[in-house]
Amino acid sequence: MSQLRLQEIRLKRSAQLSFSGEEAIVNHLGYEYRFSAPAAGVLRKMHGWLQRGADAADIAAAIGEPAAVVEQLALALKNHGALSLRQPGEDEAPMDGVAFYDYHRRYAEHWLQPVYEHPFWNKVVEGRASRAQVLGFAFEKYHYIEAAHEHMGIAAANARPELARHLARHFIEEYRHGDIYRRGLHSVFTDEVVLAAPPLPSTRALVNFLNEAAATDSFGYYAANEVLQMTENCDDDTGADDAVSAFYDGMRRHYPYTDKLIESFIVHTRLDQSLGHENVFAQMCRDMPPLAAADVDKVMNLTRGVAERLLGFVDGIDRFYEAFPQMPRLVHGLGAA
Amino acid sequence: MNLDCLHLLPRRVYATRTDESNGDVALTLSDAEVVLDARGYAVWQKVVERLAAGQPCRALPALLDRPAGEVSQALARFHEAGLLVEASDVPVSGSHFHEHEFAPVLPAWLNKAFSHPFWDRMTSGRGSKRLYAGWLVELYHYTRNANRHMPLAAAHCRNKPVKTLLAKHYEEEWNHYHFFSRAAAAMDIDPVLVRESEPLPMTMAMSDFMRQAARTDVMCYAICSAVLEGTTTDSAAFNPFYEKVRELYGVPEAAVTPIYEHLELDGKYQHADLFKEICSHEPAIGARRAAMVLDFGHQMVEHIWLWTDAIERYYADDTQPLPRPRFDAALD
Repeated sequence: MSQLRLQEIRLKRSAQLSFSGEEAIVNHLGYEYRFSAPAAGVLRKMHGWLQRGADAADIAAAIGEPAAVVEQLALALKNHGALSLRQPGEDEAPMDGVAFYDYHRRYAEHWLQPVYEHPFWNKVVEGRASRAQVLGFAFEKYHYIEAAHEHMGIAAANARPELARHLARHFIEEYRHGDIYRRGLHSVFTDEVVLAAPPLPSTRALVNFLNEAAATDSFGYYAANEVLQMTENCDDDTGADDAVSAFYDGMRRHYPYTDKLIESFIVHTRLDQSLGHENVFAQMCRDMPPLAAADVDKVMNLTRGVAERLLGFVDGIDRFYEAFPQMPRLVHGLGAA
Repeated sequence: MNLDCLHLLPRRVYATRTDESNGDVALTLSDAEVVLDARGYAVWQKVVERLAAGQPCRALPALLDRPAGEVSQALARFHEAGLLVEASDVPVSGSHFHEHEFAPVLPAWLNKAFSHPFWDRMTSGRGSKRLYAGWLVELYHYTRNANRHMPLAAAHCRNKPVKTLLAKHYEEEWNHYHFFSRAAAAMDIDPVLVRESEPLPMTMAMSDFMRQAARTDVMCYAICSAVLEGTTTDSAAFNPFYEKVRELYGVPEAAVTPIYEHLELDGKYQHADLFKEICSHEPAIGARRAAMVLDFGHQMVEHIWLWTDAIERYYADDTQPLPRPRFDAALD
């Protein structure tokens, strides 16, 4: 074991190492790994080194533990995905598509947690959201879904040949969905107002981010889009369906004028679920040649970026409509600005 | 008012404030504040939506289910108070547009953009050195991202004199991010880390929106650019901010000086006048296009507010890295 000479051992930025009594606890992407004594004691001594990054031999010498023990613990943490290290002669191996699919999903689920935990949802469920925030939510969802015309169209028009079929199908199946929300909004506003209303900057940020990715990186775009699909295709065993139902029930109870809007949300969710889009990214990953490390970084950066913008989308509805509750948002012409 | 021949448009309301004691609602316009009683405000809300939807005034009595005389009186009162203006379909020249449409509303736009509590927080001692450092890093990205939108605007422009102006603007601005890199370095932030860092999503959103404007219409792009330049021209507004952050948070002089140098250079190039010059090359702007251009300008104002919000919330959290690293599979 000591012959491995592990180099640049470093706790991943996405991992946290903490201690409770005799135990060491590693949290990584929502998973928790516990180490009891004596491993926990060694990890406690390694903690500072793991955060700075160092070679196994240097850590072992500094903390007075055998290199084999340090390396064994490092490999255990690496197997949990919580530690990065280099082994002698190791190249950064390409990641095959199937492995990438699992890797992407694990991070995406983690990055989506703040979206699911955003206080806006409870505000609506408990009736604490303002009229502008509730109707703003409907408007911004409309803008976001209607923007399939932009990013999905751009993606189809700039598709890599091997992904063109998927991207064409996606656009064709989704471009009408904005009209579902548009019809829902008709229960409150005229069509002219719905069509002319500008989106919030945070909604624009999400759409423009997808537009830019769609123009330059077909696979990265779809990986980012998959994060959005994950929020629409609820798995029964996650409780997400229950949370969505509770949200709509609360909205209906506290804001009765949103009844038709909610109907449109539900129609759209069911339609999306019936399209089988949840399997497309898995197929796409299977068809992809292995990804070089730099490509993994690039695609994951887009994936993280879209999750952050989705959080910004919810945050924008909550914060912007609180600060500026003018509803509906209008375009003002000559002499009226 | 004769409803048959009227075509009125509602003015933009920047803020509303309700007096809880009597239900009166104060509506802030770009140049005035109008107070309506609760009943008048309810009527106003109904009128706004219908007029904004393009409904003619003569349709309002039926839509509101009120007698024509009553509606006519209400419209006359709103018009007199400045809440409604007569719509015009007559195209205006670019210079007219700048002088009578853009310049008068710019102060209200900038007020809205800078109405975020961040500015008060920073100048009242409730901010921090870290918030200033984060703000510098995001300004670095925002300025560097000029390379993403300025040349794109020139590329999409089909008006020769305007195209030249845009290219010259780019020539003068493209490398100005070094001012912010130097300022950040004075706060002990490694320039290499700044260069390799990932801007906040709303920082990218600013340049993504500029790219969208550049592809849409050169006037949409130019008005956004004018809003951004407008934030740099009033030294009476920004100097106290920099002096305060130095005084309150021990920000070194070297972290402020490059900002002043940048503002001075922008002033020397007269970038704040660029939009006026671009407008002078637009012989006619129709009403629909004018509304679209003004809307882009106002959306940029809203972008600035949310950008400020994002900077404050991210950098106020001490657990967040500064600068923000890109995703790296080996480290993340």
